Amino acid sequence: MTDLAPAPVGPTRRTGSVAAGRLHALLRSPSGLSGAIIVSLLVLLTFASYFSLLPYEPIAQDPPSRLLAPSFTHLFGTDQFGRDVFSRVSAGVANSALIAVVAVTFATVIGTMGGLIAGFFRGIPDAAIGGVTNVLFAFPPLLLALALVSVFDRNWFTIAVAIAIVYVPIFIRVTRGPVLSLREIEYVKAATSTGASRIAVMMRHVLPNITSIIIIQVTLSLSWAVLTEASLSFLGLGAPPPTPSLGSMIFEARTLVYIAPWTMIAPGVIVVLLVVGLNLLGDGLRDTLDPRNKGKR
Amino acid sequence: MLKTFSHNSVVHRIGAAALTLFGVAIFVFIMLRAIPGNQITAGLGTEAAALTPAQKLALEQYYGLDQPLVVQFFSWLGNLFTGNLGFSSRAQQSVLDLTVAALPVTFELAIFSIILALLIGIPLGMLSASKPDSPRDALGQIVGLAGLSIPAFLLATALLSGLASSLGFNPNGQAFAPLFSDPLLNLQQMLLPSLVLGFGIAAPIMRTTRTAVLEVRSNDFIRTARAKGVPPRRLQLKHVLGNALVPIVTMTGLQFGYLLGGAVVVEQIFSLPGIGRQVLLGIQQKEYALVQSTVLVIALTFVIVNLLTDLTYRLIDPRVRAS
Amino acid sequence: MSHGFRFTRGAVSALGIAAIVSLAVSGCSSPGTPAPAESAKSGGSLVVGVTSDPDTLFPWKATQFQAVNVLQNVYGTLTEFDGDLNVVPGLAESWDASEDGLTVTLKLREGVTFADGSTFGSEDAVSSLTKIQEQATAAVSRSALASVTAIEASDENTVLLTLSAPDAALPASLAVINMAMLSSDDTEEALNTTPNGTGAYSFDTRAANQSITLVKNTAYWGDEPTLKSVEFRVIPDESSIVSAMQSGNVQMAVFDDPLVAQTAESGTITIAKTPQLSYHALQLNATRGDLTDVNVRLAISCAIDRQEVLDTAALGEGEVTGPITSPAYKSDTDARPCPERDLKKAAAYLAKAGKADGVTIKTIVSQGEYATSVNESQNLKAQLAEAKITLDVETLESGAYVDRWIAGDFDAAVALNGGRPDPDGMYGRYFTSTGNLNKVAGYSSPELDALFAEGRASSDPKDRAAIYEKVSAELEDNAAWVWLFTSYSYTATDSAVQGFVPMANGSLQYLRTTTVN
Repeated sequence: MTDLAPAPVGPTRRTGSVAAGRLHALLRSPSGLSGAIIVSLLVLLTFASYFSLLPYEPIAQDPPSRLLAPSFTHLFGTDQFGRDVFSRVSAGVANSALIAVVAVTFATVIGTMGGLIAGFFRGIPDAAIGGVTNVLFAFPPLLLALALVSVFDRNWFTIAVAIAIVYVPIFIRVTRGPVLSLREIEYVKAATSTGASRIAVMMRHVLPNITSIIIIQVTLSLSWAVLTEASLSFLGLGAPPPTPSLGSMIFEARTLVYIAPWTMIAPGVIVVLLVVGLNLLGDGLRDTLDPRNKGKR
Repeated sequence: MLKTFSHNSVVHRIGAAALTLFGVAIFVFIMLRAIPGNQITAGLGTEAAALTPAQKLALEQYYGLDQPLVVQFFSWLGNLFTGNLGFSSRAQQSVLDLTVAALPVTFELAIFSIILALLIGIPLGMLSASKPDSPRDALGQIVGLAGLSIPAFLLATALLSGLASSLGFNPNGQAFAPLFSDPLLNLQQMLLPSLVLGFGIAAPIMRTTRTAVLEVRSNDFIRTARAKGVPPRRLQLKHVLGNALVPIVTMTGLQFGYLLGGAVVVEQIFSLPGIGRQVLLGIQQKEYALVQSTVLVIALTFVIVNLLTDLTYRLIDPRVRAS
Repeated sequence: MSHGFRFTRGAVSALGIAAIVSLAVSGCSSPGTPAPAESAKSGGSLVVGVTSDPDTLFPWKATQFQAVNVLQNVYGTLTEFDGDLNVVPGLAESWDASEDGLTVTLKLREGVTFADGSTFGSEDAVSSLTKIQEQATAAVSRSALASVTAIEASDENTVLLTLSAPDAALPASLAVINMAMLSSDDTEEALNTTPNGTGAYSFDTRAANQSITLVKNTAYWGDEPTLKSVEFRVIPDESSIVSAMQSGNVQMAVFDDPLVAQTAESGTITIAKTPQLSYHALQLNATRGDLTDVNVRLAISCAIDRQEVLDTAALGEGEVTGPITSPAYKSDTDARPCPERDLKKAAAYLAKAGKADGVTIKTIVSQGEYATSVNESQNLKAQLAEAKITLDVETLESGAYVDRWIAGDFDAAVALNGGRPDPDGMYGRYFTSTGNLNKVAGYSSPELDALFAEGRASSDPKDRAAIYEKVSAELEDNAAWVWLFTSYSYTATDSAVQGFVPMANGSLQYLRTTTVN
């Protein structure tokens, strides 16, 4: 009941031109455009890191050149091990993004399916899914992630799974409400009454109508996931070193901030940029996709 | 909708809450046991290797680790009903006493943070919504984005070390002062942490306000009111904000619930002996009863806050009132 | 693993990274308030902040750094260490071994009282030592009394210990806080809430997770303690401690992390470095796989430039070390098989082992027990790779690491182990075939058994130095482990703090001579 049901739209048929139109609209909104630009730049860094195009190996230690200030050889300077901060930040974006994307993908798929099933079938599935959601919700989220990360060997994947488990109930809540109202809509009822299988109706008529809500939630969750990973790093439970992640880099730089401020400024600025970019993109998408926003401008 | 207040519904909700808490109890119990190590190794570290088998047994009996898991679970659960939340051997105090001391700290912090967040978030959201896509909207959005995007620990560390080194202002460097024994110092100690948390929460509240206000304004009854000549200020406050309150209250309730366990990082940096830190310490020390009971208390509080949010929601929702 | 180091990396769990102890003026209602003039005469009131609460107040079970630091000031021991780690009289004024070394007579100090006013006498000493020996007590120092077969009081101030074999290490063993003298009337349960000792300060109040306050013990047997009171204040985040120092709330802190110390150093805050007894090592388990071959172990030892490990993992802040770290018995690092990194020799050793193509060694490393662990493992891996030795690094959560370490379930382990002033206390438990940590050490030999027995039997310092030099050589020549380096601890003090002497074992016992202006 905390959700605002969307004004339903008719069954959508997605075609290339519609998608292109949406993209066009997205890029026309100022927040969408700036978000898209920031995120694309950071994605470029990510690719550079995956294809080993970085100037230095992110984990290679070079003791003689430690704690160098930014220069042309080391754009963002070096850290206490003589590692190139630019390369580490790039790899850090890649790792943080990887964790966030995997976590949110899990959360989206599981949460959306859960919300769909609960909202569409009601009854026992709804009660069961609702029960699990309530338990997960009542558990303090950061502590949940913390405990989950402590249970398993810590690596990027378990961190992603821990964050995903925290976000699953959010996706369930976000989708269940709209689905509840959608199933009462005439054409959905009509489709059900024509004898189409309920699953088919759910996938064909209900799911497309909640896509925009999900997409918006995805971009918001991505930025939350980046911050959650950073908070876990602060509590000493982030991606294990020497693997760079933005959160753990900020955490490690806290003791260096007076003698080598660039070690903190670089990942700090990048994490803020990444989150800002994702949020702007989310706003842009909402403006473009959310049926509620139609005709507001 | 007022039917939801009926007797049946209340019983139903309490039943659901009890089930949720039972689920939390099982979940936290299992999860703690799954974390490697126990209170003996957490306490002694690698020195535990030097224990003889007889010594180890003595310690296991001391910590109650020699009991089968099922027995451990039900004796803990059974004790809860007698008001015995367990005993912390590290603090040499009952978990109940510890919680009674820690919960108000976090509560106070959460309340101040929420107040600050509302004070920043709602005006900013209304400002933004008053003229979408204008410079003032952009300003509001940027402040909101900053709140969403700056990690709390970064802001907290920067504030604390900046003020301490430049101005020598660091009330949190002194021993913690409970609200009722030294209100003045207590409020000083709450200032920075509430600012940090409040700034973070202001963002979702600002965004919720903006969206809700935009939505309400597009509704017919506002257009009607405007056409009828209701003064703009009154229109803004009574009609628009009044109707936009529902999602704002919902968001506030959610954030408050989140703060109960989510303030741990800030509690840590500002040395506040709150409930989040109590759980964290418990996890590190593998004090099972402490963590289990505290998490359950947090969950209970969360459930109650949710219930209250719901009630408020019903009270202020004009649509509900209208029916 | 030194007991201070056990939680997750992070400020939160700062037990792990840096044991931080800090002092601040107590009783101030605002940061700028000067200490009252009358307390300046008495040495002032200090607030000792820590990153964590002591996990126990019962001295026989305390291994956590913070707990030891508090209890050291509250309880007394039969012997003590001075600032240079020499054993000096404590509650025992003298200890004399019989000719055959099988009887030790302890003359107790007279007129010593516990905090509750009761008198300390031989009855308390006998009851303490006897209870430490009992299994049910689960005292961590039980094994140090393994050679003691009988404990009796011959009069009110004399205790006789009967030994199964001479034990020259015993006086040093009696000096640790886990051997604290408790009143025979006290129980563990009572002491957990109300410590009752003979130390320079006595327990006053405690607020769980916040602070512990001690007050001067005016009846203390030694020189009158200088401070009026000492409060150990919990500030969980080390950066916050630095801030508290800068704002004047905290006047002294002990850090393990050189970076944190560097951050704190400014204005009126000065830093003193103290070399520590604890050492960083790559433990090799000579009972497993390829490591059973001494040549493989020697190859590893020769392939490592220890200075480079120190430089990359710990900013060069420390000293390369051999097995024995205590100043009186320090191992000569030039005496090891490869004093400098020697890849040729490493290759020759590998060839001798029939492994010219290289070996793969699995090592466990704890993430979060202490700041440098993972970086050490990364550097070791890089260096060993150049010698065709593949180090397979398994990074574990500290709880999981401790479980594996305790079980001896590893081929190699990157470790930070606590050191002790006496080499027998330090390594006898690891490298004698009957030692209670031998399973973890993974190496023993008849030669070492004989040498340790000889060291215990000899009370002449010169003879003992010669014996432990041989122990060092035996350990290094067989590459039982690969010893890397020792680090410093950093005592940060405000200019107002005077008279504190930092010690290599990390003890804060010199709070008894500290003053705050």
